[in-house]
Amino acid sequence: MQGSAARQQIRIQEALGDFARLVAKAFFGGIGVAVLMSLAILALSANVQAAGINDAKAGTLLIKDPSVDGGYAPAPQVATEVAIDVTGMIARTRVTQTFHNPGSGFVEGVYVFPLPEKSAVDRLWMRIGTRVIEGRIREKEEARRTYEQAKSEGRKAALVEQQRPNLFTNAVAHIGPNEAIEIRIEYQQALAYDNGTYKLRFPLAVTPRYVPAASEVVPDEPKAVEAQSLEPGETLLQPAYEPQAPEGCGPLNAVDIAVSIDAGVPLGSVTSSYHETVIEKAKGGPTMISLVKDQEEADRDFELTWTLAPGKAPQAAMFTQTKGDNEYALLMVVPPQPTAAERATFERMPRETILIVDTSGSMEGVSMDQAKAALGMALDTLRPSDRFNVLEFNSNMRTWLPYAVPASSSNIEQARAWVQKLRAGGGTNMAPALKFALDGTDTPGYLRQVVFITDGGVGNEDELFKLIVQRLGSSRLFTVGIGSAPNAHFMTKAAQYGRGTFTYIGDVKEVQEKMSALFAKIEAPVLRDVSIRWPDGTPVETFPPRVPDLYLGEPVLVAAAAKAPLGTVVVTGLRGNQPWSVALTPPPDRNAAGVGALWARAKIASLMDTLAQGANLDTVRPQVVNVALEHHLVSAYTSMVAVDVTPTGPTDGLKTAMVKAVLPQGYVGGSLPQTDTAATLQFLLGLLALSAAAIVTLIGRRGTRLA
Amino acid sequence: MSRTVGTDTLFTTARTGAVLAGGKRGLSPVLILVLALLGTWQVASAGWIHAKAALAQHLIASAWSGARDGGPARRPWPWADMRPVARLTVPSRGVSLYVLDNADPRALAFGPAHVSGTAAPGAAGNSVIVAHRDTHFAFLRKLAVDDEIDVEGARGAVARYRVRDVSVVDKGETRVLEAADAPVLTLITCFPFDAVRPGTRLRYVVVADRVG
Repeated sequence: MQGSAARQQIRIQEALGDFARLVAKAFFGGIGVAVLMSLAILALSANVQAAGINDAKAGTLLIKDPSVDGGYAPAPQVATEVAIDVTGMIARTRVTQTFHNPGSGFVEGVYVFPLPEKSAVDRLWMRIGTRVIEGRIREKEEARRTYEQAKSEGRKAALVEQQRPNLFTNAVAHIGPNEAIEIRIEYQQALAYDNGTYKLRFPLAVTPRYVPAASEVVPDEPKAVEAQSLEPGETLLQPAYEPQAPEGCGPLNAVDIAVSIDAGVPLGSVTSSYHETVIEKAKGGPTMISLVKDQEEADRDFELTWTLAPGKAPQAAMFTQTKGDNEYALLMVVPPQPTAAERATFERMPRETILIVDTSGSMEGVSMDQAKAALGMALDTLRPSDRFNVLEFNSNMRTWLPYAVPASSSNIEQARAWVQKLRAGGGTNMAPALKFALDGTDTPGYLRQVVFITDGGVGNEDELFKLIVQRLGSSRLFTVGIGSAPNAHFMTKAAQYGRGTFTYIGDVKEVQEKMSALFAKIEAPVLRDVSIRWPDGTPVETFPPRVPDLYLGEPVLVAAAAKAPLGTVVVTGLRGNQPWSVALTPPPDRNAAGVGALWARAKIASLMDTLAQGANLDTVRPQVVNVALEHHLVSAYTSMVAVDVTPTGPTDGLKTAMVKAVLPQGYVGGSLPQTDTAATLQFLLGLLALSAAAIVTLIGRRGTRLA
Repeated sequence: MSRTVGTDTLFTTARTGAVLAGGKRGLSPVLILVLALLGTWQVASAGWIHAKAALAQHLIASAWSGARDGGPARRPWPWADMRPVARLTVPSRGVSLYVLDNADPRALAFGPAHVSGTAAPGAAGNSVIVAHRDTHFAFLRKLAVDDEIDVEGARGAVARYRVRDVSVVDKGETRVLEAADAPVLTLITCFPFDAVRPGTRLRYVVVADRVG
């Protein structure tokens, strides 16, 4: 009984074993095919993706061109060389852009590039082979007509236009196959001087500008600001973005920077904030600074700071230039630093600090970390007698509390926790946040300070300026620029209208230092009621017309134009509660290059500012054009154009290509959104793992049975 | 003292036994379990992406009916950080989708989204809507030139568009987001549609002109 049962069991087992072997064979066959197919799909999908961009090798840029086989042609590339000569307070910069067309047809290259916000562009040269053509300044429309006509006649031409005060475009027509055309632009700027340190910035990347879909500021806005402000829905000539070049390939649009500093006195320390540089200090001669990697990707701004040797720092300086009937002057006066004892006597009023942070999509990444660190620092500086509030904005505005509260330690802790939870995303709609913070009210007994942390990625700048002017009241607006390429023009101007200052933070490591410097500075002004006494009877036009209150380390910096040679000038003010004054005498050499251009640039900026304050475009425009033409400057209404004499290109069918600008480092937008999920991949991986589990199970079973 | 030694020995024996058993057949159940769990988890995540995409649209539907009746668009669920701004239908393909207001990766899991900064759906200018290629916008591959798309904006106004152009571009071609004078609808998704790996550089772009 027992034996037959055992035999039967063995038979059943044998039968089952056969069946199992059959199933196993079928299963393994199936699995094998499935695995092979999955692998094939993976491999094929890789091929499909590669085939679509197989034209893009070594960071080559493509333009859409249906006439070319494959639909794409390589776009022109631009290599940029920047040479900056610093003499005393003035920097003269030569930017050489070499347009190279790697394609096989004639193209027009359009390059959008940033320049420092106060740069006075006054020279343009176009070099084709050995021929050099100098550009002329023309009214904007006339310059464009000249360019278009040259283009239609098949002649090479270059046109430099100002898109906004710190954003320019350079269009070059008829770049021949494999041809390189060199465009050289020159501009002047006055150096920034703060706390004993000179600062020079050269912007290398463009932050995409966001224009809110619907205008929410000043609804009855007339067309007066059309020159600079974008209407909602209208696009600024947007730079085309290309992500970083693939690894192992050269940068897309290479930049080489060399700076020569001739301060007349020995330099103290020289620091390049964000790039590796080689610094050669020569005895008696200028100090030379150049980038280590001479082919630097244009994705973050170049900043150079330096100090003069101890004891050599200027207390006052004056430069003059005689040009035509006018004498132009640039004066800088540094009020003496107060000692610790003196500072204690300066009255410290309790502050009401409103912190605004931009949490729009363009802040995503490193910028958001910097902003949070900056907010943390700002909260650290508050004393219990102060009051504060925090708000964030992206497409919408959100406040921490509906009103400012005393800076008690529990309030500060709560605000800190709120700040930590902030996340970036959405558009940049600044107006509601500014409206909320600048409500025109005054808190008696408090110094009201609005600290505005942003990358300034907005396109409706003038609307915002107008808002600041209208609602500032007795508040002060301090802008803090974050990220590798903040819109410095917007933030400098906003701070100017807001009677505050602009601080730029380019690196997380700098947050502590720069924010504490900012707060130490804004505790109390060092010099108030500044006025300048010019020699009697000389009519003088100065910019700024009125010198603002000076905070710690800030110099008086004034550009002036006079009808007669200038004599001694006296600057007076209130330092603490004591009257203070200094006398300046013009140097014997009355030919400091570029002083006139700087004055003209300041005058143009001031005229453009009147637009934000409601002046009529029809009256402002001719004034700007006059100044710009007289001083040979590119402005909102004047452009520089250079045209070749002989036609060398085809007269029709010229293809236009935007040369891709580089996106700021850490920026994650700028390309079309990613819209695929890992669902298919996960599904296949899951099936593979399940199949593998089944295989192991089967092998395990068989192993057990055999044993 | 002796008891301690005894316990130690007992443990050692038990451990050795386990290791020996593992050498023969103890390892495979662990491996099977790990593989099975891994497999189930992956398949489930894939399923979750599709389930979320489908389920969210139903939740959004009720939020939308409020907005269409003139009220403000509600949040589809209390912790949602997006609202529906339009309804996109393609009658010929039986497609009906609710469009969300912000094209960030989180919102895209739940539905197509309007790219902020571009014209509002149905308004003059270029209105851009993006969605995932394997869920909501998988149907784009079937859209052909002259197909009609309806976009219902707030307060029930319906704009009809007709497909003008279908193309594939690199993701760097932000010109497809640029403003236009005429009312244009641009639908964007990733390409190729059945790529296995995510992170493709190519985008499938459907451009449609308003016809009514």
